Amino acid sequence: MERVKKPLIHISKREPMPLWKSLLIRAGAVLIALIISATFISLSAPRSQGFFGFFGSLFSGAFGTERRILVLLQDTGLLLLVALALVVAFRMKFWNLGGNGQILMGCLASAICMKYLGGKAPDAAVGLLMFVTSLAAGAAWAVIPAVFKAFFNTNESLFTLMLNYVAMNLVVFFIALWYPTGSGAMPPLTEGRLPTMGGGLVGRYLPVILTAVIVTAAIFCYLRFTKHGYEIDLVGESKNTARYAGIGVKKVVIRTLAFSGLLCGLVGFLLVGSINYMVSPTMDGNMGFTGIMVAWLGKFNPLIMAGVAFFVNILSCGMASGVQTDFRFTSEAFTDIVIGLIYFFFIGCEFFIVYKVHLNLPGRTHGRPAPAFEMGEKGAQEEQNEQGEQSEAQVQKAQTAPEAGQAAPAQVDVAEQAPPETPPDTPPDSASDAPKKNILKKLMFWKKEEK
Amino acid sequence: METFFISAITFGAIFLFGCVGEIVTEKAGHLNLGIPGIMCMGAAGGCLGVRLCTYGVANPSGVLTVIVAILFAMIFAGLLGAVYAFFTVSLRVNQNVTGLICTTFGAGFTSFFLNTVVLADGASARLAFAGLNYFNATIPGVDKLGWFGNIFLGQGVLVYLAIIIAVVAAVVLRYTKVGLHLRAIGENPATADAVGIPVTQYKYTFVIIGAMIAGLGGIGYTMGYMRGIVGSTVDTTIQGIGWLSIALVIFTLWKPALSILGSIVFGMLYILSTRITGITFEQIPLLDIVPYAVTILVLIITSIVGHRETQAPASLGLSYFREDR
Repeated sequence: MERVKKPLIHISKREPMPLWKSLLIRAGAVLIALIISATFISLSAPRSQGFFGFFGSLFSGAFGTERRILVLLQDTGLLLLVALALVVAFRMKFWNLGGNGQILMGCLASAICMKYLGGKAPDAAVGLLMFVTSLAAGAAWAVIPAVFKAFFNTNESLFTLMLNYVAMNLVVFFIALWYPTGSGAMPPLTEGRLPTMGGGLVGRYLPVILTAVIVTAAIFCYLRFTKHGYEIDLVGESKNTARYAGIGVKKVVIRTLAFSGLLCGLVGFLLVGSINYMVSPTMDGNMGFTGIMVAWLGKFNPLIMAGVAFFVNILSCGMASGVQTDFRFTSEAFTDIVIGLIYFFFIGCEFFIVYKVHLNLPGRTHGRPAPAFEMGEKGAQEEQNEQGEQSEAQVQKAQTAPEAGQAAPAQVDVAEQAPPETPPDTPPDSASDAPKKNILKKLMFWKKEEK
Repeated sequence: METFFISAITFGAIFLFGCVGEIVTEKAGHLNLGIPGIMCMGAAGGCLGVRLCTYGVANPSGVLTVIVAILFAMIFAGLLGAVYAFFTVSLRVNQNVTGLICTTFGAGFTSFFLNTVVLADGASARLAFAGLNYFNATIPGVDKLGWFGNIFLGQGVLVYLAIIIAVVAAVVLRYTKVGLHLRAIGENPATADAVGIPVTQYKYTFVIIGAMIAGLGGIGYTMGYMRGIVGSTVDTTIQGIGWLSIALVIFTLWKPALSILGSIVFGMLYILSTRITGITFEQIPLLDIVPYAVTILVLIITSIVGHRETQAPASLGLSYFREDR
């Protein structure tokens, strides 16, 4: 008898999982990643605070003071805005990796307005001009690759990546132009700042947080309830279908990317006008890339993305202002490692949500063995009963001809000559009846003696 | 002028490593955006190897140092490459996302590792690195051959290694059965699978080999071009080089032999702003834009011309699941 050779691991697609179950898997993955990070950090830190000290530091770094909470919310808002900008393009399967460059262009446009007009024109006019120009600059930086993608199918991921560096060098150029003797850093400008909302700490951070909340709600509605949102999803699913449905694919690509860049430009506007009052080549804070993770992990759904952005910022704020100082780490790089590790676990667990893994361990009979294996076992047992001569196929053949079980030897020959595909007269469940099976076996025995 | 070309070729070798590594990976159907992080890992491994062989050793051997550094660079880069391969081949996660995470992780790890492990004692270690010149030792007597000898024969060992790897990759991809199988997988993994080519095995092998080759770019920068001066911003610089290496793949139309020329051109463009004289302070960043602008131009031109031979492998960036319809 030949056994079926089976791979050790067999992978198949799963039925869609209920939301709570998938959330549970994700939470488990993050927990494992956090435990690994905590163990690693508490063992290797210059001044370790212990395993549980890691979680304490993480928490106090993120939520410790009023300012920290506000910073956390502001950073969450900014990251969420960038992720929303990217998700609009991603839903269309346009890989916009140029978030960094689009943010920087928005920053640059705002800074130029502030530098040249601040104090010379009324603040409201400068603010309005900053708003318009930075949105336009961000949009332009996204529309350029979109036009080429739409007309010539140019690879957009590399195009946008390259534009990041062009934008970065443009920022360096302007800073060098304005401050030729400086060290390449720009001091904060005092004129043309955006107004704060009320006094105090809250008023300073509120504009960004409020903008993020409003824009998130707007994008959610835009993607879910408007015709544009439908067109974006359709182009992402299949360009041919979209074309057939009468959608101008080129128009949709360019329009959507303009919108995407516009939102990144808005982030640049907020970064310069309301937070930093100056521009630097690293002001994007790599949010263009972090935003991709947020969009991906948030399943391209604005509401889940809000949660993911919040979580990512708890990590980065908690690591930067909590763990890093408490554990006396000198370099920021450690934060990147921990966050990278958590990302790895987070995306890795997606696999277990989409796919099912069957392990075929040799010699394992309990649990739920695969059906083919079960059949092989049964065949082997039967083979022993038939004194090792009868093949499995013959047993089955005999089983499919149950009239042979009526005992007359003459009929045995008929059964033997009958081709295996002869349909049984009796229903198949009677073939597996225990008494009948015994008769069958006896019959085979006689048959052999005859020979 | 002569020194400019010498430096351009030295720098071009870094691009060449990254580019050939990425070509090999892309031929297997995987767009590895983690190459910048993997090159950083190579730098970390290379520096560790150099440090182990030289620091506190009475009579460090040059040949041994070079070999150990290259091995360590390949191991470190290969490890991150294996992680990338596991996530994209076995777990079938989106390749763009995995690649970006590899870049974040690799750059962070390198910065941390260099500062706390390799260069833990600060300036003294940096100076010790800068003092050694094993990677740029030239063939004796070359300087008598004039400019030709200086430019083409006076390079360090890494430049020749890069060219050899590129040529080997070109031959393997074009003329061997393994190369044919690999290209088949990149074009259409389902067909390759049906023919009986072990797709998963090939993908793992060549993603990891590609990462190992790219990792040598990190050591090419720290030890070859910078001659052992490892600054604190080394990870961000290598990241920029890594993105350009990925762009170079398109620039050279997925052909390793062509990438030898392409990398020298990119090397010239990249160091242009530091070598050119008579420009003002603010013009430097404008010159730094040039390599990126050229890449964009080539991207546009190749997409407009749109010849089949000049396109990416057909299934680049797509995960392969045998049981999918």
